[in-house]
Amino acid sequence: MVLRPQRHPADDTSDFEDPLSRYEAPVYNDEFERALCEDRITEMKVTPFSTISPSTSIVEAMSIMLGNDVACLMVVENDHLVGIFTERDVLNKVAERFDQIKHLPVSLVMTHEPAVVYDNSAPAMALNLMAVAGFRHVPILNMSGQIVGIVGPRRAVAYLRKFLM
Amino acid sequence: MEQGVRYHITHETVAELAVRKPLLVRPETPVRQVAAQMREAQLGCAIVVDATERPLGKFTQRQLLKLLVESGGKLDQPVSAVMYQNADTVSMDTPVADLVRMMGQRQIRYLTVVDQEGKVVGLTGQKGVMEYLADHFPRHVKVQRMKPLISMEEREGA
Repeated sequence: MVLRPQRHPADDTSDFEDPLSRYEAPVYNDEFERALCEDRITEMKVTPFSTISPSTSIVEAMSIMLGNDVACLMVVENDHLVGIFTERDVLNKVAERFDQIKHLPVSLVMTHEPAVVYDNSAPAMALNLMAVAGFRHVPILNMSGQIVGIVGPRRAVAYLRKFLM
Repeated sequence: MEQGVRYHITHETVAELAVRKPLLVRPETPVRQVAAQMREAQLGCAIVVDATERPLGKFTQRQLLKLLVESGGKLDQPVSAVMYQNADTVSMDTPVADLVRMMGQRQIRYLTVVDQEGKVVGLTGQKGVMEYLADHFPRHVKVQRMKPLISMEEREGA
């Protein structure tokens, strides 16, 4: 019987393949597509934003919305986002019984636990939430959960418009 | 070669957009009733039309907010008294890029789509443009995880 020296598999590099050798970098057809997927969401205009507390009265919140020319307010308690209050909430939950409820806290009619996007996401993520999931306004948080800004349809269209100039 | 977003937006028209069924109301309709119809249709905008369905103006949820805050909600007046006098019309062959520019310049959210005779056939706007982007470029916009909310801490041990 002939003894052959055992070869350790790691010594044999003949069938080794670099796992990155077949990596295909994403191909974008234009600068807008690249930006949509590779930029950070904060490249869009995400500020200024307006915040209120859950105990703010409904009518006061509506005045702030009108005065600040925004369609969405972020409701913040102890530095944390607990909801949003939007023009659509006014239409759906307030308009019909405005006189009866206008002095009650906004927490009764706000949208609880809104979908959010983190500030390391791409603009495509926010567009996805708006267009596919149907959330008109998407708060942007950092990884510690602090509010960085908000995007809505107006800012999304303004972002798109930059690429059409 | 496959064309990019910019090319599509410049060369495609409103006909390619998600044009929604408009909510049409007559000028004498009380605001309260218009708001109820908007709520039911889940639309932020109603188009005020004459007897031949040509647009006279529009009423948006923004104006409803303004009306409630500034006058305490006089919702029984006719919508024509508080509507925008301009319905911001476009036609089916308006390029999407023009629509995007119009909305930016005029700071408006909703556009009224009219046919060759000037009759209202649809409603579009910011939301339509975003849905257009999502539909045309699913690879980029649709392939996103819905809720990136699970923190590493919660994931451990799962």
